[in-house]
Amino acid sequence: MTTHYEQAIQELTVNQRQAVYWQDGAALVLAGPGSGKTRVLTTRIARIIQESPKQTFRILALTFTNKAADEMNNRVATLCPDCEDRLSIGTFHAFCTNLLRQHGSHIGVQTTFTIYSLEDDRRQVLRDVLKHDPDNKPVGHDENQILKIIDGLMSRFATPNSTPTLFRDQAQGARYAKLYEQYNKELRRLNALDFNSLLYQTHQLVTTYPAVAARYRRTYRYWLIDEFQDTNTAQYRIIRELAGNDFNNVFVVADDDQIIYEWNGASYQQLLRFREEFNPTFIQLPTNYRCPPSIVNAANNLVSHNSTRTPQKAPLLAGRTTTQLPESQHIRVLTYDTDNDEAVGIATTIHQAGRETWGSTIVMARTRALLENLLQQLKERDVPALIAQRRDHFLTPHFQWLQAVLHQFTRPLDKRNFRVVVDAYNQMNGAVYTTDDLIREAEQTSVDYLGVWATHLTESTEVVHRTTGEYITGLRRHPDNHSAFSDYFVQQFKKTTVEEGYDDLAEDCSAWTELKKNISHTIDPNAGLDQFLQQLDLRSKEPSPPKGSVRLMTIHAAKGTEAEYVYVIGMAEDNIPSFQSIKKGNESREMEEERRNCFVAITRTKEQLTLSTAKQYRGWQKKPSRFIKEMGLSIPA
Amino acid sequence: MEITRVIIENFRSIKQADIVLGHTTVFIGPNNVGKTAILDAVRIALSRRWGRSGTGFLETDIYLPGGITDPKQADPITIHIEFQERTLNEWTADLQNALDDVIQIEPVSGRSFIILKVTCGFNDTGTLEPRWEFLNMDRQALTGKGARSTNLQEFFQYLPVFYLKPSRDADEEFSARSQFWGRLLKAMNVPEALQATLRTSLDNLNKQLLTADPRLDTVATDLKNIAKVAPAETPGDLTLRAVALQPWDMLQKTEVIYKSHQDQPWLPLTSHGHGVQSLAVIFLFNAYVKLLLAEAYRPDSTAILELEEPETHLHPQATRSLCSTILNISGQKLLTTHSPYFVQRVPFRDLRLLRMTKTGTTISWLPPNYSTTIPASPALSQLLQQHADLLTHDASTSTLTTKGVIPEDLYRRLLTAYANHAEVKKIVANLKALKEQAEHHIADDELAQLETWARRIRGEIFFARKWLIVEGQSDYLIMHTIGALMGYPLDEHGISVIDAQNNGNPGTFAALARALAIPWIAMFDGDSAGQSYVAQIKKRNFEAKVIAEQCIVIPATDLEELLVTNGLEQELRTILKRLGVQNPQTIPTPDVISELRANKIEYATELATDLQADPTLFAKTPAILKETITRLQAVQA
Repeated sequence: MTTHYEQAIQELTVNQRQAVYWQDGAALVLAGPGSGKTRVLTTRIARIIQESPKQTFRILALTFTNKAADEMNNRVATLCPDCEDRLSIGTFHAFCTNLLRQHGSHIGVQTTFTIYSLEDDRRQVLRDVLKHDPDNKPVGHDENQILKIIDGLMSRFATPNSTPTLFRDQAQGARYAKLYEQYNKELRRLNALDFNSLLYQTHQLVTTYPAVAARYRRTYRYWLIDEFQDTNTAQYRIIRELAGNDFNNVFVVADDDQIIYEWNGASYQQLLRFREEFNPTFIQLPTNYRCPPSIVNAANNLVSHNSTRTPQKAPLLAGRTTTQLPESQHIRVLTYDTDNDEAVGIATTIHQAGRETWGSTIVMARTRALLENLLQQLKERDVPALIAQRRDHFLTPHFQWLQAVLHQFTRPLDKRNFRVVVDAYNQMNGAVYTTDDLIREAEQTSVDYLGVWATHLTESTEVVHRTTGEYITGLRRHPDNHSAFSDYFVQQFKKTTVEEGYDDLAEDCSAWTELKKNISHTIDPNAGLDQFLQQLDLRSKEPSPPKGSVRLMTIHAAKGTEAEYVYVIGMAEDNIPSFQSIKKGNESREMEEERRNCFVAITRTKEQLTLSTAKQYRGWQKKPSRFIKEMGLSIPA
Repeated sequence: MEITRVIIENFRSIKQADIVLGHTTVFIGPNNVGKTAILDAVRIALSRRWGRSGTGFLETDIYLPGGITDPKQADPITIHIEFQERTLNEWTADLQNALDDVIQIEPVSGRSFIILKVTCGFNDTGTLEPRWEFLNMDRQALTGKGARSTNLQEFFQYLPVFYLKPSRDADEEFSARSQFWGRLLKAMNVPEALQATLRTSLDNLNKQLLTADPRLDTVATDLKNIAKVAPAETPGDLTLRAVALQPWDMLQKTEVIYKSHQDQPWLPLTSHGHGVQSLAVIFLFNAYVKLLLAEAYRPDSTAILELEEPETHLHPQATRSLCSTILNISGQKLLTTHSPYFVQRVPFRDLRLLRMTKTGTTISWLPPNYSTTIPASPALSQLLQQHADLLTHDASTSTLTTKGVIPEDLYRRLLTAYANHAEVKKIVANLKALKEQAEHHIADDELAQLETWARRIRGEIFFARKWLIVEGQSDYLIMHTIGALMGYPLDEHGISVIDAQNNGNPGTFAALARALAIPWIAMFDGDSAGQSYVAQIKKRNFEAKVIAEQCIVIPATDLEELLVTNGLEQELRTILKRLGVQNPQTIPTPDVISELRANKIEYATELATDLQADPTLFAKTPAILKETITRLQAVQA
C-alpha cells in the first residue's frame, strides 16, 4: 500500500518536484495562482522529515494567516504523522510570540504576556497614557490615526530617539516620540504586547543578543515562507537578522502578481531585497491547474501591463485540460445600466443557476459596499448568502463571557477583563452583580476577583448562579480542565439556542466548536489554558458558512480561496481601478496594485468567471474598467 | 548534559540547600544528616512516572519547621535542578534541537541551560500534588511550547537516573529481571545461522545425557501414560529434556562464576562474599552504560548514577582502588560514603560535607570561585582588564565572579567604581558579601600540596566533628591522653588531632576548617616555629578574636620544656630511665629536655601510660594543656 507521502511524491509535476527536492541554499519559488504551492510546501516539509528520521533538527514554516497555517499543519500531519515535534508551522505573529515567551526575559518581556489583538484594548492603553499626560496629545489626530502612526513607528523599529526625525513638524514629532515611549511603557506595565510590538520586541531581542538568532539557525535548519510577497519591512528585517550572514536555507514561495497588501507594508521591494541579499535560485511554477485556459490567458494579458515584476517570471501556463463547461462559457462579461440593475441582474443569474451551484459560488467586489446591495437581492430571492468577514468578537454576551472568564484565570488581577466577565454575565442571565463591589471586597480580603465572585455565586438562591460558581471553583482548582469547563457552558448555550431560537447564539456556538477543533489541531492537546486563549484571541470568531450558501467577499478576503463559479462585480473605472489609483496615473504603483487585485480575483475561478459592470454607480456615470480590455475581452454594449 | 546545581527546599531534614554538582560529587556526613535525601530529591525530580499512581513524594517528605506538626501547614517541597553548559556547545546539536523548547540561553556567551522546578505540596482538596515545570533565567515558569507536558518525557530520555542502594545483592541484581543484567542479556544478538547450529548441538547433548543411564528411558516410557489417561484428539508425545530447547533460553539464564584465586574453584557470584557481590554490581552497571545506554535512551543521554556507600563490605585496600574505578565510570555520579579510604582518593572540590544544625541540614564545600550580582560599568571593565586572572563578569546575567581572595585595595577600587551608581547600597552589600565569601577560598595549588603532604590523614579528617591542630607526634599522643583523663576522649567525640608539621601548613588546615565549617583549636610551641605557625593562620584573614581564642601558644619553647619546667620533671626523668638513657636522674635539666626531644614518641607513649595509671600525675600536668581541651570542648563553627 502506498502511503500518503509516497502518493504525494508521485503526483508531483517536474517543476513541483524540483521545488520539493530543493536541498540547501536559498530558493525563490515563483508560484502563480493555482500552481499547487501549498502542495509543494507541505510535501517539501514531509520530504525533509522523512529523509532524516534519526535527526532532531526542526523546520520552520511561516504563513500569513492562521487559516493557511491550519491547513498546512493538517496536510503535513497526513503526510508524516507524529512529526509535530520537529515542526513549527504558524503565522509570523505566532512565531514571534513563541520566541518571546521562551527567550524574551533577556529584554524584560515576561513569559506570561498577553496579546492585545483588539483595537479596543489598544485604544484603552492609548487613553490611559493620554490621561496622564493630556498636553502631549498629537495635534489634529484622532485615536485611530494616532494608533496607526504608532504602528508605523513600531514597524519601522523606530526608537524614541529616532522618532522626531521621521516627522516634518518637529513639535508633533517630539509629541509622538514621548507618546510612543509611554505607550510601550504602558504595554509593558500591563504585561501585554500588540501585533506590531510583537515584531518590534522580537527584532530587539535578536539584534541585542545574536546568540538567540544563532540558536534558531541551528535548531531550525530549513525555513519556508509562504506568500512571501506579503512580507512587510519589519517581518523581512526579522528574517534577515535571524538568518545572519551565513544562513541561507530560506525557501520562499511568492507571486509578485499577487501583492495586494501594499497598504500594510508589503512591497515588491522585499522581493528585490531578498533576491539581492540571499541570492536565491529561481524555481518557476507557472502552470495553473485551477483555471480554464481562457481565464489563464486573460490573467496573463492583464498582468503583462504591470512593470514591477520579477523579470525572469514565466507567464502562466494552462494546466487544466478538462472542464465541465464548454470553452465559450468560461468567461462572461455582463453590462447593466445602473448599480441597482447590476445587483438585481447578478442575483437573478445566480438564482437561476440553481441551488446546486450556490455552495460553489463566490462573488467578489473591490469594496464591501457593493456587496451589501447584492446580499439584499439574493436574500429576497431566498438564495442563502453571507458576506465573509473577519470577526474579532463573538456576537453574544454568552461567548464574550466565556472567553473573558477563561482569561480571568490566567490574569487574575486584570480588572478590565473582570468587568467584561461580570457585565456579560449580568446581561446573559439577568443578574445584577456589581464589579466595583466585588473588586473592593477582593482587595480587602486578598482573595482574587474571580474567587470573591465565585463565593457569591455559590451562595446564590438561584441554581444557575450556583452551578456557575461551582464550575468556576472547580476550574480554579484544576486549571488544566478548561476544556471540560467550556464544554459544559457551550452545551448550556446550545440548549438556549434551541429553546429560544437565538440566531447569533447559534452562530457563536458553531464558531466556538470550529475554533476549538482547529486550535486542537494546531497546539498540543495538553497545552495549558494560556496557549488555548492565545490562539482563540488571534482567530476570527466567524463560523464557516452553512453548506450551500453563496459567499460574498472583498478581493482581499478572497485570497487563498477558489470556487467553481466566480463573479466579480463593479468592474468599472473609479471602482477597480480605484479613484485614488487613477489619480496617481496609469504607471503608478497604486494602479499596478489595483491590477494585481483584479488578477487575484479572476484567478479564483475553476469553471466560470462572470465580470459585470454598470454604466452608472450611485448616480454617477462610470466607464467600464480598463482591466476588462487589458484582459483582451470585449464589452457588450 | 550534566546537573550543575540543585536547590532543595523543605524536603525531609533539608530546609534549604544549594548544592553545586560536578561530574562526580561525594556526599559525606554522619548518619541521618540528609545524604540520601539529596540523592532521592534528584531522583524523584528526574523520574516522574507517567500514568502510575503515587508521586514519588510522601507526606512525610515535607520539612516541618519548629512548632509545626501538620505537613499541610508547612511550605511545599521545591526542588530546582539546573543544567548548564560549561562551555559553548558542550551539549550536542542533536540534544539541543530535541530539547529546544525548554532550553534557555545565557544570551551573551550563548551557552545553554535548563532549569527544572518540581514543587510538591497539598492542594485545595488536601492531597499531595507534585508539579513539574521548566523555568527561565528569571525563574519564571515557561509558558507556550515550553509548558507542554510532553517536554518532560523527552527531557527525561536524556537523563536516566540509576540508583544503587548500599546493599547490592548479586542474587537480585544478576537475575533475569534485574535492571541491568536482564536488559543486557535480552539485548544480545545470536545470529540466525549460529542458532540453528547450536540447536543441533543442544539436541545432541540432550540425547547423550539422557542415554547415559538407561533407567531414564524407563521413566520416560512411564510418563507417556499421560496420553492414555487424558487422551487428546490427535496423538501426543513425551520426551525428557535436560538442556534448554533454544540457545536463546540458555543465554537468558547466563550466570556469572568467579574464582578469587587460581587455586580456588569456580563459584557463582552468590556463593562469594558480599564485597565481591557488591563490586560485581558496580561493574555490571558500568557495562550496561557502555553497551546499552545509547540504545535504550538517546545517543546523547547522560546516565546519572546514584551510588550509596560503594565501600560496603570491602577491604580498605579494595575501597581505595575502587574509588578510581568509580571515578572513571561514564556518566555523572552522585555518591555517598562513610569510608575515609574512599575519600582519600576523591578530589577535594568534589566533596560535600553535610551536618545537622538547628536550621536543618547544611552543606559545606570548597568552591573554585565565588559570584555575586553586579551590573556592568565602564569602570568595572577597566578593573576586569587589570585583574583578568582573578575577576570575570557576565553582562547578561550581571554576574561578577572571582577565582580567589579579593585583595583589600582591589575591593576598595570596586567600591569606588560604583560610588555614584543608583543602586549603590545593594551593590556594596553584594561586593562585601562576595569579598567575605572569597576569603574562604583555598587555591588549587594549595590543595595540590595537601594532596601530597596530607594523603595519610586527608580521608579521615573530613569525617571529624572538630579539629585539634598541633605540631607533632608527641602533642598528638599527649593530648589524646589528657582529653581522656578530662572525660573528653578525643576519638569518641570525633576529634581529629592533626599534626600539621608532618602534613603541610597549619594555615591551610585552619583555612580548610573554616571553609568546611569544622570547629578547630590550634596548639603550638612557644618557639619561633610555633609563632610562625600562628602567623601563617593570621595571614588567612581570621579575625583577631578568632586567633586569640583558637590559637594557643604554650608558654615554653616546646612541649618537652613545658612538661619539664611545669611540674613533671621527676616523672620524666624516671621515664628516661625506663627508656635506657644514661644517668637520667643526675643530668642537668636542659639535658633532660634534650633527651626527651630525642625520644619524642617513646617518652610520650610512656607518659600517656603513666598518666592513666596515676591520677595524681594528672594534677601536675601543665594547665595550658587542660585549657586546650576545655577550649576544644567549647569551640563552635
